[in-house]
Amino acid sequence: MTNPDILIVGAGHNGLVAAAYLAKAGKKVLVLEQRATAGGQLAGATLASGATVPGLHPAGQLRPAIVKELDLARHGLTTSAADAPYVSALPDGGLLRLVSSANDTATIEAIRRLSPRDAGRWPEFVGFMNRAAAFLDAAYSTNMPRLPRIELRADGLPLASLALQLRRMGGKDMFRVMRSLSMSAVELTEEWFESETLNAAIAGVAIHGVTLGSMSAGTGFTLIHNWLNRGGLAHRTSTGGPQGLTEALVKAVLANGGEIRTGAGVAQILVEHQRVLGVRLESGEEIKASTVVSEADPRRTLLGLVGAPELPPEFVWQTQSIRMRGSVAKLIVRTDGRHGLPDGTVAIAPTLRYLERAYDSTKYGEMSQDPYLEVTTLGADVMVHFQFATYALRNADWGSMRPELEKRALDTLALHFPAFKGSIQSVQSITPVDLEQIVGPDRRRPQSRPADPRPDFLHAAVAGLVESPHPDRRPVSLRFGPAWRWRHQWHPGSQRGAPVAEGLAFCGLGGATRCEAKRHAAAARWPPPRPTTDSSRAPPASG
Amino acid sequence: MTAAIASSARALGVEIRTNAAVDKVIVRGGRATGAALANGDELTARVVMSAADPKRSFLQFVDQQHFPDEFVQAIRDFRVRGSSGKVNIALSGLPDFTCLPGEGPLHRGAISISPSIEYVERAYDDAKYGNFSRQPYMDIIIPSMIDRDMAPPGHHVMSCFVQYAPYDVEGGWDDAKKEAFGETVISTIEKYAPNIRQVIVGKQVITPQDIERIAGITGGNIFHGELLLHQLFFMRPAPQWADFRTPLPGYYFGAAGAHPGGGVMGAAGRMAATEILKDWQ
Ligand SMILES: Cc1cc2nc3c(=O)[nH]c(=O)nc-3n(C[C@H](O)[C@H](O)[C@H](O)COP(=O)(O)OP(=O)(O)OC[C@H]3O[C@@H](n4cnc5c(N)ncnc54)[C@H](O)[C@@H]3O)c2cc1C
Ligand SMILES: Cc1cc2nc3c(=O)[nH]c(=O)nc-3n(C[C@H](O)[C@H](O)[C@H](O)COP(=O)(O)OP(=O)(O)OC[C@H]3O[C@@H](n4cnc5c(N)ncnc54)[C@H](O)[C@@H]3O)c2cc1C
Repeated sequence: MTNPDILIVGAGHNGLVAAAYLAKAGKKVLVLEQRATAGGQLAGATLASGATVPGLHPAGQLRPAIVKELDLARHGLTTSAADAPYVSALPDGGLLRLVSSANDTATIEAIRRLSPRDAGRWPEFVGFMNRAAAFLDAAYSTNMPRLPRIELRADGLPLASLALQLRRMGGKDMFRVMRSLSMSAVELTEEWFESETLNAAIAGVAIHGVTLGSMSAGTGFTLIHNWLNRGGLAHRTSTGGPQGLTEALVKAVLANGGEIRTGAGVAQILVEHQRVLGVRLESGEEIKASTVVSEADPRRTLLGLVGAPELPPEFVWQTQSIRMRGSVAKLIVRTDGRHGLPDGTVAIAPTLRYLERAYDSTKYGEMSQDPYLEVTTLGADVMVHFQFATYALRNADWGSMRPELEKRALDTLALHFPAFKGSIQSVQSITPVDLEQIVGPDRRRPQSRPADPRPDFLHAAVAGLVESPHPDRRPVSLRFGPAWRWRHQWHPGSQRGAPVAEGLAFCGLGGATRCEAKRHAAAARWPPPRPTTDSSRAPPASG
Repeated sequence: MTAAIASSARALGVEIRTNAAVDKVIVRGGRATGAALANGDELTARVVMSAADPKRSFLQFVDQQHFPDEFVQAIRDFRVRGSSGKVNIALSGLPDFTCLPGEGPLHRGAISISPSIEYVERAYDDAKYGNFSRQPYMDIIIPSMIDRDMAPPGHHVMSCFVQYAPYDVEGGWDDAKKEAFGETVISTIEKYAPNIRQVIVGKQVITPQDIERIAGITGGNIFHGELLLHQLFFMRPAPQWADFRTPLPGYYFGAAGAHPGGGVMGAAGRMAATEILKDWQ
């Protein structure tokens, strides 16, 4: 592609979604992906050992509006199966099988065996979680203001409509939602249910993917977040899985005239006078464009690709403070099919204390002795999600801990499913360090023991109390952390230009924290109203 | 401070009766009309305000039928896990801290035993699983350095605020457990002030259960309820009832379990009084 309008760094699903929207709006969009395949964390990978893995996680769903607006069904995306079971494996060998529906009689009967009172409350709980998730969904598609300034029309109205939506939930739900966000999963579930078995099963979903324990404040929020993304407790797998999702997105980008180059790692985002000029690839090739959208994680984008010298010191400090503690490992176990695991999403989350102890270890740089596992099967393949396997091991490294990781995961599973061990044919494990290498290492750092960035696959810990960076609706500024600090320092009267780099936008998870990428496309809408003396530098007018 | 507030109140005509435990709030015609004391006395008044903790105020003083179910449930859900203990130590001399040897400004200031983030976190971990901290976080002051009347000349009182000591410690708080807790505190101090045992002449160990008993606070939570975001501001003590009124007309609520929460501030009492006056027509 010659003279692209917009470069997108990274072909993960957020980059592809942004590319599709921008291309659909008539822009010339070029996506640059360092790996050989598109998909980011949704794609399969070839490990350092040479082994290939089909994909890093079992499921993923785009927000329905995106599927519709990008017409992804036409590009081959199938709808997910509803009512998948979520199965908690219990210490006594039993299974608690939950379908996240208010009126599934088998689920209610299973809960009744634990507590008749809880069985009575289950339908109300499911209803509440669905409504809370719907509210979160609305919040996720609302652009966040650049505090402390609020523009009445651009920020005020969307925020007011969000507040109205909360208010319309009615007093009871409104307070429940507000209270739930800052609660711990333990506090939240204990207000609903008395059975610890049930509470622990639910708390497992709350801590899934975050470096927090079920007793940590903010895991009430992560429960609702995961409920929204999964559509309940269980993953909903679609045929073709995450791979199918990537393929549909790639088709949507191409159909709208966008272009995707793989094997094109961006080494540097070129900036002059706080204005983006384009990128330099690792090959040395330079590509010019007035807008660059990055979906690499915020730290890598800002400190690695842009570089600290181009940034205000305060802002560098804030970027360094973004929490990205990775603590997930993964096993892909090929069996002869007689693994004895039930269908659905299987969790090893027997008690709240079990989950909490699994988490405690990560605080001290250790791998959980008795891990929290979430397991899904695809025919004879068993995918194991392992928490907590901290990236930053204190007294060991992942080179030597791999056998221990595999042993702890397989032993734990075998405890619950006796047939499992005998069925194993091969095991591939992905440590947090592998994960980092798969989804894109910072190549300017020595590979042996990178201190930073750490592979937090949410691109910055999602926790109620952690400030997540978010993009502006205009690409002239990136905002991470409390924006007012550097705004005061660097943006007096808006005359000094962009605090980071004009023309740079952000669309990865660090920006959105979820799969809502639509607004990032809107984020690149031109022009930002800005006084400029040099018209040749001014961004092109919007189409 | 207490004496000053009491004296100010008396000067304004307030009567304070001690040893007058309230058993029930009297409700007539859907209104609070007074209080029945444990000794059988009944007092009538136009307004009753509770400054006890929320659990007592709403689950004990008043029969549940006078409140909406939702309110009762919210008060039940209100978290009041006590987690702080106290060890008061009588000393025949000053502890000599290795970090700052000899008598110095630290003896007049606040001494914190919190050597690392990990230390504090591990202290908390113990409590999560129902134990007191094996190596507790401590906030120590020696008030006799300021107020010389607190101890004979040369002697001192050392007040150690200790976290964590869970109210519902595994196995319960018996004498042996209390003794072990006190010993843990002293041996922890000993690591920082090795002469401590030589100067100890007496000690008093206070667990959250003792705080509950002595100060009349359910759960022994020093703030009458945890300062968790979901039970603060307009949600303290319950959503919709953070304005010092209660669902029972004539009954008000103005202590640490109300907005803005615990700590020695007086804010809840002041705001409650203001709201009561607003309703006084
Ligand atoms: C083990 C695991 C389990 C998970 N489970 C779930 C789940 O159950 N549900 C769920 O919703 N989410 C889950 N996630 C999280 C989810 O996969 C990610 O949050 C999401 O895929 C991130 O998408 P993204 O497009 O923002 O970024 P990524 O998918 O991380 O894409 C970033 C892309 O940028 C590329 N890139 C980086 N730097 C450069 C550069 N300099 N030049 C060019 N390209 C570059 C990378 O190669 C990559 O392709 C899981 C993730 C993992 C790893
Ligand atoms: C060990 C400890 C250390 C603390 N450290 C600090 C600190 O350093 N700084 C700080 O700001 N705060 C501190 N606090 C917290 C602070 O003391 C309290 O939050 C505050 O005193 C609460 O004030 P209050 O008036 O709301 O309630 P309280 O002082 O608890 O008064 C409630 C009163 O109600 C009475 N009562 C209860 N039931 C009945 C009944 N049935 N009938 C009649 N009377 C009844 C009780 O006897 C009590 O006198 C500490 C508390 C403790 C226990």
